[in-house]
Amino acid sequence: MKYLITCVFMFWIVSLLSQNKEVLYGLEETPQAMLLNPGSRISYEYHFGVPLLSHIHVNVGSSGVSVYDIFQESSLDINTRISNKIFELENKDFFTATQQLEILNVGWKNKKDYYFSGGIYQEFDFVLYFPKDLAILAWEGNANYIGKEFDLGEINASGDLLTVYHFGVNKKINKKITVGARTKLYSSMLSFSSTSNSGTFVTIPSESGDNIYEHIVSNATINLNTSGITSLSDLDTKNQVINKLLGRSFFGGNLGIGVDLGTTYEINEKWTASASILDLGAIFHKKNIESYQVSGEYNLDGIELLFPPLGNGDSSLPYYEDLIDDIGTAFTLDTIYNSYIQMRPIKMYASVKYNFGQAIGGDKTCNCLKMGENQKYNQSIGFQYFSIIRPKGPQIAATLFYNHRFSDYFSVKATYSVDSYSYSNIGLGLITNIKMVNFYIVADNLQWYSNLAKAKSISLQFGFNIIIDKNE
Amino acid sequence: MKKKSHLLFLFTAVILLFTACVKDTDFNQSDDILITPAVVLDFLFFNLSSENFTNIGVNNLVVSDTTFFDLLIEDFTIDNLKKADFYFKNTNSFSIQLSTQYQFLDENNDVYYEILIPVNSGSISNPVITEHIEIIEEGNIVNLTKADKVVVNVIAPSSLDNLDGMLNLQSKTIYYLSLE
Repeated sequence: MKYLITCVFMFWIVSLLSQNKEVLYGLEETPQAMLLNPGSRISYEYHFGVPLLSHIHVNVGSSGVSVYDIFQESSLDINTRISNKIFELENKDFFTATQQLEILNVGWKNKKDYYFSGGIYQEFDFVLYFPKDLAILAWEGNANYIGKEFDLGEINASGDLLTVYHFGVNKKINKKITVGARTKLYSSMLSFSSTSNSGTFVTIPSESGDNIYEHIVSNATINLNTSGITSLSDLDTKNQVINKLLGRSFFGGNLGIGVDLGTTYEINEKWTASASILDLGAIFHKKNIESYQVSGEYNLDGIELLFPPLGNGDSSLPYYEDLIDDIGTAFTLDTIYNSYIQMRPIKMYASVKYNFGQAIGGDKTCNCLKMGENQKYNQSIGFQYFSIIRPKGPQIAATLFYNHRFSDYFSVKATYSVDSYSYSNIGLGLITNIKMVNFYIVADNLQWYSNLAKAKSISLQFGFNIIIDKNE
Repeated sequence: MKKKSHLLFLFTAVILLFTACVKDTDFNQSDDILITPAVVLDFLFFNLSSENFTNIGVNNLVVSDTTFFDLLIEDFTIDNLKKADFYFKNTNSFSIQLSTQYQFLDENNDVYYEILIPVNSGSISNPVITEHIEIIEEGNIVNLTKADKVVVNVIAPSSLDNLDGMLNLQSKTIYYLSLE
């Protein structure tokens, strides 16, 4: 068990962050901004992401605990710290992990000024809600919790490994409005979810008076949907597993469809608003499905001895065997092979920004800092909203940002976010365009970079693109 | 010059981002993580009348019953059980003192642990409760986890043939586990 706890936290160290890409959103100098808002403004003619290097993004985050909280150098015993955290966390706290690797990303503008873009990326997404009651039960047992109902419905987790093929179109339809849409084809390699669970476990003083307690499991229903997992267990070698997953990544898995929509609205010269909705879609799991459902209820009050008059050689009654059989009968395990639909976690972004500073582009005197077709000023401040729909409701973040284009080849975006992980998330994005090579790196929770262990979430994304602008 | 300073800033920032560190932590503490739940479970219960004695024979002084209790010899229990507290609550309305005996036996019927509880006499109108707590600490717990069955003997000092009454037992066990 301790190795499990350690592994979880070590993984945390190397890859902490959240789903929100608050720094990358609105960074119109990078093509990856189109994946967060297909209706973002585009000022170049072509782009090519460097294969496998155009967008790298790995994350794990927790809404309630940091590595430092558990493993800090302290005179306080580590078990006491874990215990304190178990009671401090709520069942709404969660652990998430998201990883993306862009394999291909290309885009071009046609003669009618439609900008087409498409590509492939691989994504892993995982969320686990903290099952507080079960954690208390496992950590402390039930002896000191007579009468407390432990909620089995707190079991709530899901994970997906998939490849996404996407193709989008972007068009500035008039001076003020740019719109965009992106269709997505999901090819799921692995998936599991356990989100619709219910039931309670409680130990109470016996109401029947037969024994001291009654241990009652009521209305228990635990579901686990899996696709693509059990078939891997038949494979013998690691290579076979990898080959199987690669095959699924190229349309061989369970398929799904989705769409991203977005727009940018230039309210006036000073103000710009934008919004997008991503992953509006679902995966239809039809192949390699194995779902399990355990349901039932039981009231345990020990073993009642009957003292039957037995003769020599007679066996005693099978009390224990009967008890085990009764429990087995009370809880039915069904294995289900029915197809099921899994909604993708919908993400939403919205922003409004105020442009100011040195005039660039348009009819102003200086146009030496062209960063976008309609960018009038080299600085902006604004507000962003982000939400992602998770099994227990949306996780929301609000961001204040400042964007400064220092030169043709160097821009900076700084953010301050309030999210589910912290109330003081400071982010920074750096973008360079040297010749045709575009490089960006964005990170958040910078205040913890001197000691990552104290961060509950950290984001680090970077990538290389080739951007061609005929006007330059 | 300006371009160079921007690139220097970028280079420095990237280096800083990739050299973020983890400090003031000690992951060797993971060796000290110990999960120590205390799990309470009902154990045995019964209601015994004089007929349980007389059904075996006139003047019979002992009744016995046996149950397997494989929970004690599960690998999980053997590896992690550090202590067990047994609590027995006897309610006796017989007018004579009884004794209850709990023998923990392995598959060869060798006794590995035994509990003997004298039960005070009572009356129909005034049943008497006799409680007993048996704490089995680390030194003896290994004996408990070798036993896969429990034999319960109720022993009367004299015949119950003409006695009314009832012996009621309720019991529970608190298992103290230690998971590394």
